[in-house]
Amino acid sequence: MFLVGILTWWYGDGWRERAGMVGGRIARSNDYFSVGLLLSTLFSPFRQISAGSVDGSFATQLRAIGDKLISRMIGAIVRSFMIIFGLVVILLQAIFGGIVLAVWLFVPIFPIMGLLMMVIGWVPSWL
Amino acid sequence: MRLLIACVVVLIVAGVLGVALGWPVGWALVGFSAIPAMTIEWARGELDDLKPEDKYDSVDDILSGDILGLLSRSPTPYEVATIVGQVYGGQFFAARFGIGSGFLQEITSKDTADTAALWEEALGVAQLTDDKMITAAVLVVALIKMHPKHEALLAHLQLDIDDVIAGVRWQNHLHNVVMEYKKPRRTGGLARDWSFGWIPTLSEFGQNISTSGRMLSTQLEAHKDALDQLVHILSSNGHQNAVLIGPAGVGKTELVYVLADKLLDGFSDVPSDLKFRQIFLLDAASLISAAPGRGELESLVMQLLNEANSAKNIIICLDNAQLFFEEGLGSVDITNILLPVLENSNQRLILTMDEQRYLQISERNGQLANALNRIAVTPASHDETIVVMQDHLMTIEYMQKVTYMYQALEEAYRLGSRYIHDLAMPGRALKLLESAAGYSEDGLVTAFSVQQAIEKTMDIKITNAHSEDEREKLLHMEDLIHERMINQTHAVSVVSDALRRARAGVRNQNRPIGTFMFLGPTGVGKTELAKALAEVYFGGEDRLVRLDMNEYVSNDDVTRLIADGADEPGSLTAKVMKQPFSVVLLDEIEKAHPNVLTTLLQLLDEGILRDIRGREVSFRDAIIIATSNAGADRIREHIERGIDIEKFESQFVDELIESNLFKPEFLNRFDEIIMFRPLKKDELLQVVDLILKDINKTLELQKVSVTVTSDAKEYLVDAGYDPRLGARPMRRVVQRAVENTVAKQVLSGEVEAGGTVEITLEQVEALLSSKKTADKIISESKAE
Repeated sequence: MFLVGILTWWYGDGWRERAGMVGGRIARSNDYFSVGLLLSTLFSPFRQISAGSVDGSFATQLRAIGDKLISRMIGAIVRSFMIIFGLVVILLQAIFGGIVLAVWLFVPIFPIMGLLMMVIGWVPSWL
Repeated sequence: MRLLIACVVVLIVAGVLGVALGWPVGWALVGFSAIPAMTIEWARGELDDLKPEDKYDSVDDILSGDILGLLSRSPTPYEVATIVGQVYGGQFFAARFGIGSGFLQEITSKDTADTAALWEEALGVAQLTDDKMITAAVLVVALIKMHPKHEALLAHLQLDIDDVIAGVRWQNHLHNVVMEYKKPRRTGGLARDWSFGWIPTLSEFGQNISTSGRMLSTQLEAHKDALDQLVHILSSNGHQNAVLIGPAGVGKTELVYVLADKLLDGFSDVPSDLKFRQIFLLDAASLISAAPGRGELESLVMQLLNEANSAKNIIICLDNAQLFFEEGLGSVDITNILLPVLENSNQRLILTMDEQRYLQISERNGQLANALNRIAVTPASHDETIVVMQDHLMTIEYMQKVTYMYQALEEAYRLGSRYIHDLAMPGRALKLLESAAGYSEDGLVTAFSVQQAIEKTMDIKITNAHSEDEREKLLHMEDLIHERMINQTHAVSVVSDALRRARAGVRNQNRPIGTFMFLGPTGVGKTELAKALAEVYFGGEDRLVRLDMNEYVSNDDVTRLIADGADEPGSLTAKVMKQPFSVVLLDEIEKAHPNVLTTLLQLLDEGILRDIRGREVSFRDAIIIATSNAGADRIREHIERGIDIEKFESQFVDELIESNLFKPEFLNRFDEIIMFRPLKKDELLQVVDLILKDINKTLELQKVSVTVTSDAKEYLVDAGYDPRLGARPMRRVVQRAVENTVAKQVLSGEVEAGGTVEITLEQVEALLSSKKTADKIISESKAE
């Protein structure tokens, strides 16, 4: 009864919960690094610097457009760095989470594997 | 659990060491560590918080884990009661309701045959409270409901079955709040504000309520429509501003906090153009102090609005916005700056305002009112107020280091509704609840603490008579009143009975303590009884709220009767609002305008009178006494014919109705209509004694006392009594005769400090030598 109960949970709700935890961590990192927001505002002026419309001569307006372009470029560069950094962290988390989920599946056979190793009698010689 | 963790650690360490030492058995140890490790995970993931089965075969499938783990195979209800007391749900009821394990054990059986009925009852309760499992709290209610006389048992704790069911919901609500708090929030992250502008001035002068870390704003069902409307207005294309209008305490600012929470929650369903917008609160007083010079404030406000507009993610909130539209102490009129912003700019603005102020501002400046989108915020219902209090308790209890009982919450709602007029619900109940913390007993805030809080702050009596002194006073009320007034025993006993009923807690709480009409000729003690009552029980004659109804003879006087205290401090509603625990004396009621009497109907019936601002003023802690000389001629006629007027009482009331002086519905509103009969000669002699007692009290300062011989007293009664004016001229006649004699003797040196002046018949006769002198004094009294 104990064995059936624990194994049913381990390969059913247990694994799903674990997968949910991995997914939750990735979602939290995604929110923490504002990846979605940064992508949607990638080319917006950085901190609204030189963002407003300007009235004046053609030269003034041309300068304003230039300023805005620079602001947008700076914004895009800063955001891109953050997006890349965030994506790396998320990727690492995903890999680690994937390993955990894979190992999870083999944990119940660890005792059998341990017994097998004991019967084989192999121990690392370098120790 | 600790043992399992220790097993895992020991097996892994031993196994690794074994392998390191070249022993293959180490592999087996490491491998077997998976068994306790898996058990730990299983316990954490499933066993600790058992999920309910959709289809259950036995009660075990839906019994919460904490109870299931402690129960024997065939438990009795008594065992369940014992176990419930050991887990959180049961302890919650012990602290919050005073329903502990001991109480439950007392009322439950030790027969296993009753257990099936208990589970059945518990399933019913769980359905009622939307619980998917049978928790300890559900079991507490089920155990109580099993008892055939549970209503009576709960009544001892000032509870009913609905209250304990509400307790299960309260515990579930707390659990949900904690679970919600544990959930990760998505608030936009590190770079949320990178595409929005810098806001250095706003950060200095405004308060960012979105990020200020305030927690647990309660979204009320009553405010759902207002919140939806607010979100709709702020995300629409028209004027993106809204003015939240409602009385103080209704939760306007709370609503803004709820919106701030909602906007910053990545999971919420607000439109995308509002998501992650932040709300800044601007306070008029701090802005004025920051920019005191002429023109400085205008430029600061302009700077703040420009900054918010350029940043593109700021919603400005002007709390108590009336302070920005009027000149005065702590307020400033910047309509000229705000109006263009409200009319033309796409800067989002939220204003909060009192209804009355909004009407005043709209009247003054129609353009401003047109530019604003009006949202009405309505007061919370009873159930909502209880939920708000429960949410606020989490902070109050932590700050004040106290625990509130459920009964305290209900009492705060009840007393708040009755006595706190300047706030709406839930503010009025919260105010009271917070002040009750100071009256806790051993850290526990009970209904009694709330009663004490309101008694001390409003100087009224709510709690049942508890001190020995007070009980004695109530039991001997008639004697105490008779120390200052003679006879009228029926009237005195009726009024005393009403007070005793009130202080024993057996009266109707939804009416005044007592409503009486005193009828009778002048000078028989009608007003005196009201004064005596105010002094003896209510704490002094200043507790008498006296209205001469001959000042309310026209239709317009109705307005004066219920005027706002700020404009007319002498209005009836203002006086009773300030002093709810009092004797209200409506003197010469027959002279009031019929519409004034109609206005008083609700007061007499329900103990409520609405003032001109629509606020309910409670008269439920007052005794209402109306006096009337109506039919004095008829009474005098009966007296002259020697008829005992007490026997003539009911006939007299009928005659009063037939005369159309009072409508039957008005007279029917009084608990009792009492006839005061004229005093007889022997009683008038006692009145002379009372007057002399008063005179001696006055002379105490001169260290002189006065005695009057019996024949002199009789002479004074004969001289001072007038059948039309009763005993009223008596005081003047006695004072004149006695005080004049004493004055002469003190000045001539006949009497010195410590001496006694004896006034004889001759002296009195000399002073009131002619009937003319006495008549003159009487006519002076009549003129008064």
